[in-house]
Amino acid sequence: MDTAPQITAPRPDELNLAFYQATVAASQLCVQHCTRCGSWTHPPRYFCPECTSPDFSFDRVSGAATVYSYSISHFSVEPAWKPLLPYAVIVAELAEGPRVIALARGMAPGDVHIGMPVRITTERRSDEFALFWAEKA
Amino acid sequence: MSRRVTASLSGKAAIVGIAETDYLRGTEQSILQMVAGASMAAIKDAGLVPRDVDAIIPPPGYVAWDEIAAHVGMADVRYTACPQMGGASPTAGLVTAAAAIATGLAEVVLLTIGWNGYSALRPRPDARPNNRRFTAAFFDVVKNYYAPYGLRSPPFWYSLYLQRYARHYGVPAEAAGAVALACRRHAQLNAKALMRDRPLTMQEYLASPMIAEPLRKLDCCVETDCAAAVVMTSIERARDLPHVPVTLLGGAEGHPNRPDELVNRKDILDLGLDLAAPRAFAMAGVKPHDMDFLQVYDCFTYVVLLELEALGFAQRGGAGDFVKDGNIELGGRFPLNTHGGMMSQGHCWGMNHIVEATRQLRHAAGPAQVAGCKLGLVTGYGDLGDGSIAILGRDG
Repeated sequence: MDTAPQITAPRPDELNLAFYQATVAASQLCVQHCTRCGSWTHPPRYFCPECTSPDFSFDRVSGAATVYSYSISHFSVEPAWKPLLPYAVIVAELAEGPRVIALARGMAPGDVHIGMPVRITTERRSDEFALFWAEKA
Repeated sequence: MSRRVTASLSGKAAIVGIAETDYLRGTEQSILQMVAGASMAAIKDAGLVPRDVDAIIPPPGYVAWDEIAAHVGMADVRYTACPQMGGASPTAGLVTAAAAIATGLAEVVLLTIGWNGYSALRPRPDARPNNRRFTAAFFDVVKNYYAPYGLRSPPFWYSLYLQRYARHYGVPAEAAGAVALACRRHAQLNAKALMRDRPLTMQEYLASPMIAEPLRKLDCCVETDCAAAVVMTSIERARDLPHVPVTLLGGAEGHPNRPDELVNRKDILDLGLDLAAPRAFAMAGVKPHDMDFLQVYDCFTYVVLLELEALGFAQRGGAGDFVKDGNIELGGRFPLNTHGGMMSQGHCWGMNHIVEATRQLRHAAGPAQVAGCKLGLVTGYGDLGDGSIAILGRDG
């Protein structure tokens, strides 16, 4: 898919709001990063799943990722998506560990396969939401 | 310590009453009306009256325990609990009920669920607003991370992991098709099944339109308006009631880590049932191959394959061999969803699977009867991956 879908941006709250605000401000994916043990967590949690620390920051990740799984939609009831069918959504495993969902760009849905290297970029949609894209690395 | 507590539940409580409404696509009845009707019918089936019921396990949404008590007429409700795990709730509720009965917190427990899964999606222009909703914590994850990509309903969320299942393990569409065909074949024997008189061939299954890979339309269960209910009591009291008691021999729930979000699990194919199944078999002291039938929560065909693997019938990715050659059809070794399941009878959050398992063990399943069956299992499956299981046996 190369056309941006005309979706309504969600209005996140709590930690999800903080996550998206950090990502929008940096114009780059920023993931929850534990201050104590250094592990990366997504979606963000109040306590680090590895070490239980409540202290973290949202830090930039490299954007390097591989395709862990994917969905190819052939059907939609939403006007934003109908003209774009079929389209691929990728479960991308970041080099830092966590997985994010991103929209495939610059590749045919049929070309997507598990293990394929991709690069994650962000597109600002509001002050509190960015869409994630996955492109061939 | 925990092992002794769970072992003490085995054989302590039994299902004594069952009921289900018709399975409909469109109804004039409200959810409360259907739930109250099924509850009353289940109590009567048990040979009891509403005042005998002293505990209620209501559905995880739409209808609350207090209005059920008020409409059906329970005078002294002394215990309520509500497992919050979507389609895993009814089967998990059997264990909760047995625990309440075994400890003396309650003697007669009503479990019920119902919804307008068809009509809610097609509201009439003159429909009046109401507050009957189902909500869950994972809705927040969906809103923030899945829905912006058009992944707004179960087939699309499920495709995120079922596509990995199909591709990574090379699971053929025909394996999922065998589940769809078994359910459809069994529905032909069930007067209440939505898909009765609509037989299905593998060719028709494979030609069904793709929704979200690997899910075709015929991999998805049917939208339904319905309700169902069961009544449980102690094994001692059960033996004085009209029907052969159907005893809870083992049961458990389990949840993937993390329960509210799908894609950041260590393995995206981690299921709650992977954890729950061994606990339930240990409590019952039986093995998967001792089962005479399997009533497996079938929101999607591929999920049934994953559950069969979690139950121990195959390694991960290998259920295709288990479901072929009629093994899961009536006449085969492990008849599955002998009522037609959610694929072809109707979607009642798996309470219909409990109703059918009870009918089988009473030897009252009509043309779908598994001859002489004594032992069977029911599973539940909730978004996004909650698992529950009950191992049920014919008393005596």
